[in-house]
Amino acid sequence: MAEALPRLDTLQTVELADGVEIRLRIAGPILRIAAYVVDLAIRIAALILIGVALSLAGVAIGENVAEGLVLLSYFLMDWFYPVVFELGKRGATPGKRLLGLRVVQSNGSPITLGQSILRNFIRFIDGMPLFFYAFGLSSCLATKRFQRLGDLAADTVVVYDRLAPMPVLPAPPPMAAAPLTMALTPDETRSLVWFRDRAGLWSEARRAEIADQAAHLTGATGQAGVTRLMAIAHWVQEKRKNH
Amino acid sequence: MTVGDFEHKNAARWAEYEAVVTSMEKGKPMGEVDQLPRRFRELCLDLSLAESRFYGERLTERLNGLVIRGYKLIYRRRRGGWESVVRFAAVEFPQAVRRDAALFWLCNAAFWLPFFAMMFSAHHDIAWIQSVLGAEGMASMEQMYGSKEDQIAFLRSEYGSNFMMFCFYIFNNVAIDFRIFAGGMVAGIGTLFFLLFNGLHIGAAAGYVNHAGNPESFWTFVAGHSSFELLGMVCAGMAGMRLGLAILRPGRMTRPRALALAAKSALPLIYGAALLTFLAAVVEGFWSAQPLPSAVKYSVGITFWVLHAVYFLFAGKGGARAA
Repeated sequence: MAEALPRLDTLQTVELADGVEIRLRIAGPILRIAAYVVDLAIRIAALILIGVALSLAGVAIGENVAEGLVLLSYFLMDWFYPVVFELGKRGATPGKRLLGLRVVQSNGSPITLGQSILRNFIRFIDGMPLFFYAFGLSSCLATKRFQRLGDLAADTVVVYDRLAPMPVLPAPPPMAAAPLTMALTPDETRSLVWFRDRAGLWSEARRAEIADQAAHLTGATGQAGVTRLMAIAHWVQEKRKNH
Repeated sequence: MTVGDFEHKNAARWAEYEAVVTSMEKGKPMGEVDQLPRRFRELCLDLSLAESRFYGERLTERLNGLVIRGYKLIYRRRRGGWESVVRFAAVEFPQAVRRDAALFWLCNAAFWLPFFAMMFSAHHDIAWIQSVLGAEGMASMEQMYGSKEDQIAFLRSEYGSNFMMFCFYIFNNVAIDFRIFAGGMVAGIGTLFFLLFNGLHIGAAAGYVNHAGNPESFWTFVAGHSSFELLGMVCAGMAGMRLGLAILRPGRMTRPRALALAAKSALPLIYGAALLTFLAAVVEGFWSAQPLPSAVKYSVGITFWVLHAVYFLFAGKGGARAA
């Protein structure tokens, strides 16, 4: 099997049945740990509240019944808190939602009950040893799509739900258009276009520094390289004959 | 065509599409909802064009976001109602268990061999059992099954204690099933560990009561729910072993692929295990401790075992032929 070129980013391209490719931005372990901590806090707070409420209600419904209900809520919080929330419309626990994350199938569609159960029950192993999530973290770091073991079994990924639009601030339009002198891969062409779209965000020196990486394409360095690169990008986007 | 032209030409269409999608996301569909699939396909085409013409990040990000939103709406699944629950219990679960008969016997062996070994070790040397149970375990066995016939019924006489124990059995026993399943993720070692551990522990408890307590109070108590609980545990073990085997022996597939397939096929076993263990908690909470003649309790227990055998052997046979 041909190994794909190393990617420049964490975008995951998924081809839909409709023939189009969408791009999912996979979330890394740091954000997911943050989401987990938020969820943990919510769960502990909820359990304390339930405990207090039930111990008060225990006077009316009997201490044994109240104690039973506490055990039941422990069980549900432990195993079904993420299952239920991830099945919901937002596909995320409150913690994930807060951080703008969402659980989807690896083809981008919403997860099923079975997948939600699989990924969250296997959490028990991911959390080992001693709830430090060493297994889950190693698996996250070892897989291309940051999947912990539960994600692998359920065939799910955690993605950014709604991306903040990437800042775009093009530099003043180039005066000339220069045709490409060599064939570029789609990924390379995309970087070229991004360079043009974002050039306005950077200082002159930074632009030159980046453009120097493409000296073999422009045949120039420094400011001349920047101008030439912008001209090529202009040609690619607007002057090239679209087939 | 420049970016501007392209956007200008299609802006109205995209706005209409976005309005429909937004209204559906809020749960209040309006406008031409039946047009959504067509508009979705058009948008897919626009996205492909924008990608291949390198119209820039701003536009493709926007179209990409719109496509994903529509995709989530069009491909969401409808959950099956009660019908699918009944079909699962009557057909799919017993079929799933029969499909993996070898794993069924393996998991049974992993539990019953240590169970009987432990129980019969009492005849030769009680030290094994003592070391497994520990002082506390032995004390609690004495408290429950020490001497008098109706000790358990007495412990349960307080108001609400049946319900409390029912909740405890859910909290403890169903969670054990889930852990047995998840343990399969470490190449099946976790699953086998929990099965062996439970076999040793329950066998030791039974052996200890036979040796030092009142066996009748123990066996009449466990008779009713034993079939539900132990078979539920075995099913959880089968689900875990499916994961473990997929990791150890993925065959011609890649490991992640084999794992995902095995996990999917293990789902009915997990659901079934949870269902059986839930029923076990009901029986154990509200029936097993009732002060009734031993003969009644033994016959109920045997009846449940026979019903389970019939269920796993024959339920869903006709469905298999139809499928």
